[in-house]
Amino acid sequence: MMDPPPGVEDPRAPAVNGDTNHVSKKLKLSFITDSEIREEFAHHQSGIARINNGSFGSCPASIIAAQKIWQLRFLRQPDDFFFNHLQRQILHSRTIIKDLINADHVDEVSIVDNATTAAAIVLQHVGWAFAEGRFQKGDAVVMLHCAFQAVKKSIEAYVTRAGGSVIVVHLPFPVNSNEEIIAEFRKGLARGRANGKKVRLAIIDHITSMPCVVIPARELVNICREEGVERVFVDAAHAIGSVHVDVKDIGADFYVSNLHKWFFCPPSVAFLYCRKSPVSPDLHHPVVSHEYGNGLAIESAWIGTRDYSSQLVIPEVLEFTNRFEGGLEGIRKRNHEKVVEMGQMLAKAWGTNLGSPPEMCPSMVMIGLPSRLGVLCDDDALNLRSHLRDHFGVEVPIHFQVPIDGEIGAMDGDGCVTGYVRISHQVYNTLDDYIKLRDAITQLLQDGATCKMLQTE
Amino acid sequence: MAADDDENPKPGSNYITQSELRSEFSHHDPTIARINNGSFGCCPATIIAAQQRHHLLLLRQPDYYHAKLLKPSILHSRRLIQTLINADRVDEISIVDNATTAAAVVLQHTTSSFSLSSTFRPGDAALILHYAYGAVKKSVQAYITRAGGHVIEVHLPFPVKSASEIVLEFRKALRTGKSNGRKIRLAVIDHITSMPCVIIPVKELVQICRNEGVDTIFIDGAHAIGNLPIDVKSIGADFYTSNLHKWLFCPPSAAFLYSKQTSDELMDAATAWMGTRDYSAQLVLPEVIEFVNRFEGGISGIMKRNHDKVVEMGEMLAGAWGSELGAPPEMCASLAMVGLPICLGVKSDLDALKLRRHLRECFKVEVPIYYRAPLEGEVDDSVTTGYVRISHQVYNVVDDYYRLRDAVIKLVEVGFTCALLSK
Repeated sequence: MMDPPPGVEDPRAPAVNGDTNHVSKKLKLSFITDSEIREEFAHHQSGIARINNGSFGSCPASIIAAQKIWQLRFLRQPDDFFFNHLQRQILHSRTIIKDLINADHVDEVSIVDNATTAAAIVLQHVGWAFAEGRFQKGDAVVMLHCAFQAVKKSIEAYVTRAGGSVIVVHLPFPVNSNEEIIAEFRKGLARGRANGKKVRLAIIDHITSMPCVVIPARELVNICREEGVERVFVDAAHAIGSVHVDVKDIGADFYVSNLHKWFFCPPSVAFLYCRKSPVSPDLHHPVVSHEYGNGLAIESAWIGTRDYSSQLVIPEVLEFTNRFEGGLEGIRKRNHEKVVEMGQMLAKAWGTNLGSPPEMCPSMVMIGLPSRLGVLCDDDALNLRSHLRDHFGVEVPIHFQVPIDGEIGAMDGDGCVTGYVRISHQVYNTLDDYIKLRDAITQLLQDGATCKMLQTE
Repeated sequence: MAADDDENPKPGSNYITQSELRSEFSHHDPTIARINNGSFGCCPATIIAAQQRHHLLLLRQPDYYHAKLLKPSILHSRRLIQTLINADRVDEISIVDNATTAAAVVLQHTTSSFSLSSTFRPGDAALILHYAYGAVKKSVQAYITRAGGHVIEVHLPFPVKSASEIVLEFRKALRTGKSNGRKIRLAVIDHITSMPCVIIPVKELVQICRNEGVDTIFIDGAHAIGNLPIDVKSIGADFYTSNLHKWLFCPPSAAFLYSKQTSDELMDAATAWMGTRDYSAQLVLPEVIEFVNRFEGGISGIMKRNHDKVVEMGEMLAGAWGSELGAPPEMCASLAMVGLPICLGVKSDLDALKLRRHLRECFKVEVPIYYRAPLEGEVDDSVTTGYVRISHQVYNVVDDYYRLRDAVIKLVEVGFTCALLSK
């Protein structure tokens, strides 16, 4: 019995659903309206200026509804769903991603829960290589100083504990150009290799999380190749939907991005791209089930009874993005333009600067907070964030930039700028959100408040 | 606090009615005789709604949710599980996605102590049951075998007549396994084997392991919670896992992992690869406790009635087919293995799978089938090689089992054999 692809009842959908972008766009008569966008995000808490899409992403009502349909299909007759539908649907999702990221083969695309799991997959492979003698004690792994905390934990568990060494490269912030990043990376890599260490793996962020900056990943991958780094893993947790992703152009061996941050999927889902090569390493999902040994993509598609629905709505998400002019690319461009505009508005209002030039900002921007607020440690940043949430209804993460010895860093009229907000712009944001933030900070300054005075909740 | 009230079943007149029960499971495909709760479990409408509330709470304001609401909600669920399984401390309980994940966590933890421990000797072993769940066997291969550990598989009899048969075989296999001075680092023992489905006397087996110097004992109780009472202290193992979505009405998916000695390294390694996810399936334990207390006797009452009914149905089927149960009633929980007529000719695992599909597609009966290979010396064609594994959960009705009975009788009448099924 034929099972109709999801969404075929939707009058907006073309007859052959789930096909390429082109089919959907040709039949488009009108784009999503502002009022429809508001409806799609009506479940967001009202009264909150939600300027932190970067942390947990967002999911439109259509996709939540699509997810429920998939969940109910499983609950209705799970055995049938498992035997006859699940794998086929996951393959469909993987194929869409492969096209989005310009990968050659769908075999290269695995779907996992999040970037953390993907990093663990790559790092556990490194751990085995040490245990099985393919890597020698002291062989190195390179990471950026600002790597995500969960990635650092994985490095500790699978590299350090296995006898590997870790080279940490510090990147400058605030930063003025790609050249600064490239120069620092080259220096850091050379320093780390000074005593002839063999570098087995480099982990590079495509967009660092905190502070948030677009890294010239392609150039850094090239440097790694030049310097004889065996494999490169690009942690692009934020990337898809916020920068252009072309995995062949970037040239890394492994590339991961979350789909629930900027690609409208429900929490949580990510893809891990593993470039096929004659020496493609043998990666495994840490949760071993019936499909062990059948390749990472197949292993990842069954890790025991789970709710796989967030992986199954990818076709519906693609459809959703095509309701916008220019599809995902259009959304991305407009988010970028708007967030830069808002960033510049805030910097002007506060007398500070952006943490990086516009071309190094994705759909997020770092803006210096007035030094008078006195963000002098991580706790200050957290307290200020809580205070903004609780007293001003503004949700925005705050970064404390440790002053580097001997460097003054950024300054404003009153002293050193050590605190930065990271603002995001996604399709549901409005000008009002950023005005609320602007005025909240202005209010705090007027009241003479500093972080020291703020209570922890 | 509200949780205390929730733990006691409500008085008589407030019990769930038949009509409410049907309503709770009205999302199940009504055309199917769904006799396979064991594989994927079930989730009542009330719990689905509770899960959706949690999900929306997260989507509404995720930063606040993660900062303030998530941890206390998970803690609440963990406390309820702690009570259910008689664990001493809540920090012995963690919630993971499913038993397969729990197995991976325990095996990874064991393996890193294999390779890093200075007392590790090549040939050190892990012990599993031959009937261990396929995914767990693969996990043992992926972690233990790969790290150089030797794997001992304990063969247990099936059909089986008593728990003492199991104890005897296990003791023999353990002694043999240790015979050339092997050190057994880890024993993985099912509380209820999946296929064939039988309750294993874990308390006795754990004691035997301790007596024989096994380092670490991990009980795979994937089916257990909501199926039979669990007392982790009495069982005395180092690790115990069970799925919450199989027999405890949680949505897919969640499981608990009990660790007698919490280890930072264990939890670090586990959280290192988990990351943020949708936790909503883990957070509905309070609503689940409320739900089970709408039944007379609460979860105990549900377990007892499921058991009594599945045995009754099993005996009904065996009577109708001229076969037998694969295990005595006291070794069945809410599941029973019932012999299929030999003339159906189930001669391989593939036959079992194909016959299952045939029953699903042509008779709309969902029931898993087990192929039991004849032992040496057994005369082919006079030995039962096919068993159905029937489940009974609160939504099942007698008609489900009559439909299975009649489907099989029909197949026998028309001279059906598995050989006739196409590839």
